[in-house]
Amino acid sequence: MGFAYRDPFQELQRELDRMLEGAFGSVGTAGSLYPPVNVFDAGDAFVVKAEVPGVEPEKIDIQVENETLTLRGERAFTEPNQQAAYHRRERGAGQFRRVVRLPGRLSADDAKADYRDGVLTVRISKAKETRPRRVQIQAGS
Amino acid sequence: MAGSDIEARPKQKVDRREEPTRPGTFFVPAVDIFETPEELVLVGDMPGVPPDAVDIDLEGDQLTVEGRVRPEEYEGLKPLHVEYGVGGYHRRFTLGEMIDRENIKAQMKNGVLVLRLPKAQHARARRISVQTA
Repeated sequence: MGFAYRDPFQELQRELDRMLEGAFGSVGTAGSLYPPVNVFDAGDAFVVKAEVPGVEPEKIDIQVENETLTLRGERAFTEPNQQAAYHRRERGAGQFRRVVRLPGRLSADDAKADYRDGVLTVRISKAKETRPRRVQIQAGS
Repeated sequence: MAGSDIEARPKQKVDRREEPTRPGTFFVPAVDIFETPEELVLVGDMPGVPPDAVDIDLEGDQLTVEGRVRPEEYEGLKPLHVEYGVGGYHRRFTLGEMIDRENIKAQMKNGVLVLRLPKAQHARARRISVQTA
């Protein structure tokens, strides 16, 4: 039996697909909440990624409280000049507000946000009591 | 709770018959396309794609747009809750206009591609003004 090279990113893509299908069925009628978010476990922190292309980072308001993360902002619509005729119009615009409940208590003052190429990444440390702890086995006497 | 004005559109995977040039998962980017007397403008959402990872190809009247994301952003992350798939973008368009290929301009900012395709001179609609005596 030979070794099969596994690309870790392709593995992740497949896992995301499986979870998407599990959550919404294969039809792809995912909830219409905007922006869509993915939540990841990074050991001592939760990482939330949201797709918000075309939004200026300074126009995004982020709040962390107890177990929730709230994202607020606006996606501006760039109206072309009067002479323009539309062939396709698939991109939405307007205000958004999204509340994401995380599966554990947060350490709100230990949150970092980063916006890159239209993806917002918020990394929030877990509260001490929900972080994974290594438990030492006591030697028997 | 006040919601959002915008509705999230579930990302559609690229059809198998129209395979992108690289392996991995690819999605169809949402686009706006409009036309002025001078140009065609395509605005496409490709969140996660850096400016140097976009390929634009115009062959005859077939325009292909492809973008790739950075896998390293996902190292060490274990998904807990998933609302969108992650991957590149790929879409093909048939243009109904002759394009001046030398002057195509592409700009990528905040995950949005703006592609300006100027119409070839002879294809532009000419406005003829009627002289009054």
